[in-house]
Amino acid sequence: MANNKRYWTGLDDLHQTEAFRDFQSQEFPQHKSLDESLSNESLTTANTGRRDFLKFMGFSLAAATLAACETPVVKSIPYTNKPADVTPGVANHYASTFYNGYDYCNVFVKTREGRPIFINNNRKTGVGHANARVNSSVLGLYDSARLLGPRLNGTETTWESIDQYVAAGLKGSGRKVFLTNTILSPSFQRTIQRFCEANGAEHVMVDAISHGALRLAAKKHSGKNVFPSYEFKEATMVASVGADFLGTWGDSAYYEDEWVKTRLPELENMSRLHVFESVMSLTGTNSDHRTMVKPSEQGKVLVAMHELLSQGTQKQFSTGPLAAAIEKAVSDLKKAGRKSLVVSGVNDVEAQLLVADMNRLLGAEGTTVEYRSNQLFQGDDRAFNTLVKDMNEGKVGALLMFDVNPAYNALDKEAFRKGLSNVNTTVYMGGFADETGSRCEALAPTPHWLESWNDLSIDGERVDLVQPTIQPLFKTRPAGESLMAWSQFESDWYTEIRRTFKSDYTSDQMYSDVQWSSCLHDGYYMAKGTKASPVVNPARDRKALQQAKETLLAVKSDSQFELDLYVKMCIGAGEQAGNPMLQETPDPVTKVTWDNYVTMARTDMEAMGLNTYIAQRDKASVVKVTANGKSIELPAFMQPGQAPGTVGIALGYGRGDGGEAIGRAAFQTEENGEYVMTDEGLPMPIGGNVYGFAQMVNDVPRYAAYNVSIEPTGEEYPLAATQIHNTVMDRGSVVKETTLSAFKRESDKPKGLASWNRNHTLTVHEDVNGDGVIDASDDKKTSAFDMWKSHPVEGVGHRWGMTVDLSTCTGCSACVTACHIENNVPVVGKDEVRRHRDMHWLRIDRYYASDWSQEKGEEEGVGVIASYTKMEDPSANPQTVHMPMMCQHCNHAPCETVCPVAATTHSNEGLNQMTYNRCIGTRYCANNCPYKVRRFNWFNYQGYSKFQHSNPAQDSLTRMVLNPDVTVRARGVIEKCSMCIQMIQSSKLEAKKQGVPLTDDMVSCACSDACPTNAISFGDLNDEKSVVSKRSKNNRSYHALEEIGVQPNIFYMTKVRNVDESQA
Amino acid sequence: MQREATIREPLILGHKTYKDITDDVVGPIMGPAPLGWKIMITISSLIAVYGVGCILYLLGTGIGTWGLNKTVDWAWDITNFVWWVGIGHAGTLISAVLLLFRQKWRMAINRSAEAMTIFAVIMAAIFPGIHMGRIWVSYWVLPLPNQFGSLWVNFNSPLLWDVFAISTYFSVSLVFWYIGLIPDFATIRDRMTKPLPKKIYSILAFGWSGRAKNWTRFEEVSLVLAGIATPLVFSVHSIVSMDFATSVIPGWHTTIFPPYFVSGAVFSGFAMVLTLLLIMRKAMNLENYIHVKHVEYMNIVIIVTGSIVGVAYLTELFISWYSGVEYESYAFINRFSGPYSWAYWMMMSCNVISPQLFWFKKIRRSLIATFALSIVVNIGMWFERYVIIVTSLHRDYLPSSWGEFHATNIDIGIFIGTIGIFLTLFLAYARFFPVLALNELKTILKSSGESYKNEQAK
Repeated sequence: MANNKRYWTGLDDLHQTEAFRDFQSQEFPQHKSLDESLSNESLTTANTGRRDFLKFMGFSLAAATLAACETPVVKSIPYTNKPADVTPGVANHYASTFYNGYDYCNVFVKTREGRPIFINNNRKTGVGHANARVNSSVLGLYDSARLLGPRLNGTETTWESIDQYVAAGLKGSGRKVFLTNTILSPSFQRTIQRFCEANGAEHVMVDAISHGALRLAAKKHSGKNVFPSYEFKEATMVASVGADFLGTWGDSAYYEDEWVKTRLPELENMSRLHVFESVMSLTGTNSDHRTMVKPSEQGKVLVAMHELLSQGTQKQFSTGPLAAAIEKAVSDLKKAGRKSLVVSGVNDVEAQLLVADMNRLLGAEGTTVEYRSNQLFQGDDRAFNTLVKDMNEGKVGALLMFDVNPAYNALDKEAFRKGLSNVNTTVYMGGFADETGSRCEALAPTPHWLESWNDLSIDGERVDLVQPTIQPLFKTRPAGESLMAWSQFESDWYTEIRRTFKSDYTSDQMYSDVQWSSCLHDGYYMAKGTKASPVVNPARDRKALQQAKETLLAVKSDSQFELDLYVKMCIGAGEQAGNPMLQETPDPVTKVTWDNYVTMARTDMEAMGLNTYIAQRDKASVVKVTANGKSIELPAFMQPGQAPGTVGIALGYGRGDGGEAIGRAAFQTEENGEYVMTDEGLPMPIGGNVYGFAQMVNDVPRYAAYNVSIEPTGEEYPLAATQIHNTVMDRGSVVKETTLSAFKRESDKPKGLASWNRNHTLTVHEDVNGDGVIDASDDKKTSAFDMWKSHPVEGVGHRWGMTVDLSTCTGCSACVTACHIENNVPVVGKDEVRRHRDMHWLRIDRYYASDWSQEKGEEEGVGVIASYTKMEDPSANPQTVHMPMMCQHCNHAPCETVCPVAATTHSNEGLNQMTYNRCIGTRYCANNCPYKVRRFNWFNYQGYSKFQHSNPAQDSLTRMVLNPDVTVRARGVIEKCSMCIQMIQSSKLEAKKQGVPLTDDMVSCACSDACPTNAISFGDLNDEKSVVSKRSKNNRSYHALEEIGVQPNIFYMTKVRNVDESQA
Repeated sequence: MQREATIREPLILGHKTYKDITDDVVGPIMGPAPLGWKIMITISSLIAVYGVGCILYLLGTGIGTWGLNKTVDWAWDITNFVWWVGIGHAGTLISAVLLLFRQKWRMAINRSAEAMTIFAVIMAAIFPGIHMGRIWVSYWVLPLPNQFGSLWVNFNSPLLWDVFAISTYFSVSLVFWYIGLIPDFATIRDRMTKPLPKKIYSILAFGWSGRAKNWTRFEEVSLVLAGIATPLVFSVHSIVSMDFATSVIPGWHTTIFPPYFVSGAVFSGFAMVLTLLLIMRKAMNLENYIHVKHVEYMNIVIIVTGSIVGVAYLTELFISWYSGVEYESYAFINRFSGPYSWAYWMMMSCNVISPQLFWFKKIRRSLIATFALSIVVNIGMWFERYVIIVTSLHRDYLPSSWGEFHATNIDIGIFIGTIGIFLTLFLAYARFFPVLALNELKTILKSSGESYKNEQAK
């Protein structure tokens, strides 16, 4: 049986067919070869069936999809060898110096895991304070528009080829010019000199915003070509004619806190400030007496002041408020004598000559002003103009530029651009391929200041050091090193800086290293040279003065309007136009973000029928401003305090008119976040460039135009302001202010009893004081009424609090940007700000005084409702108050009770805490906040396309600036000021590690750190010795909205104005 | 047994018999859907789909798609919420309070009024949900045991009280409504010939057999539920009003709010009942059951509650002046003279002035006038909430933060959308549910004495 069993391979086998036997007989079955198969005709013509096609496609699609579905792997690589100074989670601080040709100050740079993330003030060894422009500049380091490496004719190249190109260019004929901004580095000055000698080149300096007249006048006045050194802290009386010295004029980062040192009302001699200006400047808002004058009158005001000082009478302004204001200012100045100071922002040699002479007449030379060795603002506008002329005439063979942008900010930028195309060899050294850079053949990128070494000195005595805080991110080379390469000098930039240092100190390398380290730690060293001696009271050139007066008086303006070109606090000269944080920080005066506009007086706007009210849906009217043959169309903005008959336009806008890569935030965006495009298909710059409206007068640009015509275009344009309401509506418990004389009368009264800071009381129907009658003397303090169980924070452990002195707050907004950066606050762009959705945790409320009040209404028989309407309008020339407003950390917080999920709670250290993870986003807390400081995440700011060009967190490089200690908030949660709890926490840990009690100097907040004037202080209210606990007990301190009984931990201090009431 | 004076207008007109009632109510359910209904449900469901689309866009993109901002953090969302909750009140009032007061006229309207309540509360519940920044964690408002640590809800928050109040209200209303529906479902079940609907109705009828025991229990449960529901009529809107009353915002912080809100709710609820029923009686030939007498009664309720609301408005104004509080008085001056005064005067004219027309018998017995005014009242009540929420918030304490609110298309779309969803649900109800409490109605039909009574009247 078993033998019969047979296995067959198929039916063919079973039936033993012919074909099968054939097949079986062959050892190697004769199939067609591959070639044969492929050459088969029918195969190429064969139709792949529809089903097959679908199958294949389906498979490929599925395969591709599956392949793409792999989870992205994000690798975090730990240090193999931990760098000595880098401990994850622990910040390092480095002393450094900021200088960009405009702002100058010493800073501390905070780095985390090797990334610089915050620019802080250097209060220990530094001079000057970081303003908003300086502390926001950290974003520039991580700007993805920066140049990645050297470029030649638009293509990436190597440094060698750049060097060859430059070497060849320098051999050519014609002028060889090295054009820079004001160079303050001794090492760089030496390098430039060496370069010029080696190549027969010249060095020309030009400033973005010229202060040339001050230098020229100082030379005429004192014989020294220096910038006058102003010492505001010595002055008890300051008169400023058009100088915004607190914000944007001169060495403002130094002047601001120096001036504020004289502004405490508790001082024996609080200083007074008289301001004469056209546009409401930051300085104007802080003045005690402000007078509106037209730009053409500013020179005449100086002449009148000078005549009053030298002759006792003046003929320029016979009567009227202007004459009175001038007389008052001069009599005040005379009274203060050598402790007075006159400054003027009029960039006119004649005007500055009078200013210098007035300071001499007052005896102020040697106390508040000196002519010694100040090297700021060396820009030579005449040399620059000659250069442009030569460029256009083809006389310039090579033009090398460093950190200047004349293709943007030259008065005649078209001439410069045209001239540049005539130059054979053009080299640009800077961070971006900006208006100038993109027009140059060779781009030699320089490192960001946070990546580089430098030494800087204003007076030649104190040398401030700049040290790198991160390895250069891109293929950059310091300008000094490039110059050395181009002058065949074998060295590197760091060695040069050390060489400069060595020449001042010991040449012994070992000692030098030790000394260098300690100087680097402090951020500066003192040069060991002979000190320049100041020129005091040089001989007067009466003829020159007389001539100056005549020239100033000869100024004529018969047009209806005059134009004042001013500089804005945040945008400055426009270098950082691509910085979203600066664009979004509201202007301290107008509170407008992301835009340039024409400031106008209400009367003028009404006469022309322009919109004076700008809000969410109320757009600004566009006007066409024509002056000096140029015209520009910009929206008009009603500015209280604007001199009637004048308009103001800020410089620093209109960057990137050729769509240059200067940063993503530099261009206008649509509501959906895409760029607005020009007709040429380029992204539309923000605002307009008005440098061209300035005119060269006697070799310096005059930032004003006297014959201006303005016509409405009938178009409208939306402006985005963070504050649309201007006055405080007579609400006495929001802002408290008084005059110095009123303050002095009751300066020793205990807190709550002085007339200018009275406790809020409520009437009760009981005889509290037991005198048998129920009257006003029985009133109880608001805080006596309390239905709540108090949080046990008084006297137990820490109780964090803050005091904000309205007297010393100038509104400069350094705290706003500092808070923004420290706390990773999203930047939301213009359209969202217009919808009142700015995210600032800390804002500065700016209130203008109104002519009207309920009291006045009662006196004049005007009804309550009509009075309220009148109170909404600010005065024509209002007094202004700046009030920083952040979470008040109420001990009886209204937000805490209403949250259904207890996402916001009170800490046992007195903080009102926000738990983002727990928040479900009902926004009830934000509604119930009397201070309206809570901010809601309306969108996913980190991912939603609307914010692609505005929010730094949407750029993979700029994201590096985010503070790792602070959560980036998700969509749909509330956020608000945390009093920088991350900083409190790290201070507590530090104290714990050191085993010492936490003292006042160990804790701070981003805003209190950043405040140049110490108006904001932060600390432990339970610590008797702390500044905050002392200030909170001061009789000027009060709680905003005290009567609603929320018991904040933030105290404000009454603003005191040094107003002359005898004549007011 | 119902005794009634002969001179009184009968509650059911037209010599109806018991069978007529059943035919009138069940007939439309048995028959094919009329064309008008098809058109109406198509339109309303299209609106509903648009609304759902807007809601999805909102959930996908963020609350920023609404016009809210840092100053006005609530606007249309909570306005719509309060408006819908308010509308719901009429149903409960009619079915529970009028039941306890033995107002037999309620029987013709209570079923639809309750249906309206259920649907309105569903619409209302949408808004607190979608107005949350993170709706995906909305369950955190429930006091659930959890693993987040010792996290618990904040019992101090009026918003949490809202959660409890609304959910209780919704469940009690639903049960009450359903209990009432059971005998009527049974009637439909008994008549239905198509197998699937018959099956569904028999499930819905809960095995109702119509025995005396069933009826006793039915009556008892109705009474008990009416007892439970009655306080809810007052509590729900009181608690909703506390969202505002317990805050510190001038214009919100007002002790008058609970009674003022409750009467406002009843006011708007009756207006909505009128709007719906005036259409329904015409479309479904219910003129004999819901007639001028019912309309007149409801209009009287509207005059009373409308006047209470009017007095409340004036009291608020008076107190804001009398208190001498600067912020409070400004808040109210701003209401009637500020940028949103148009909304205030809209509210005043719709809510206070227009219902006073019902003092004229002619007007309150005119169906067309009633219909027009009921819509006016609903518009007015929407504006009342808008005024309270938006005008109080947009200018509160610090003038620096004063702002504006402007609604976006999404704001409007979602509101219109909820009206669409509501109408869709109501139309579905009108098609598949007994729109009159037919078994209850039969208790007030005096078939035997009716012809006698009519003759006596002659």
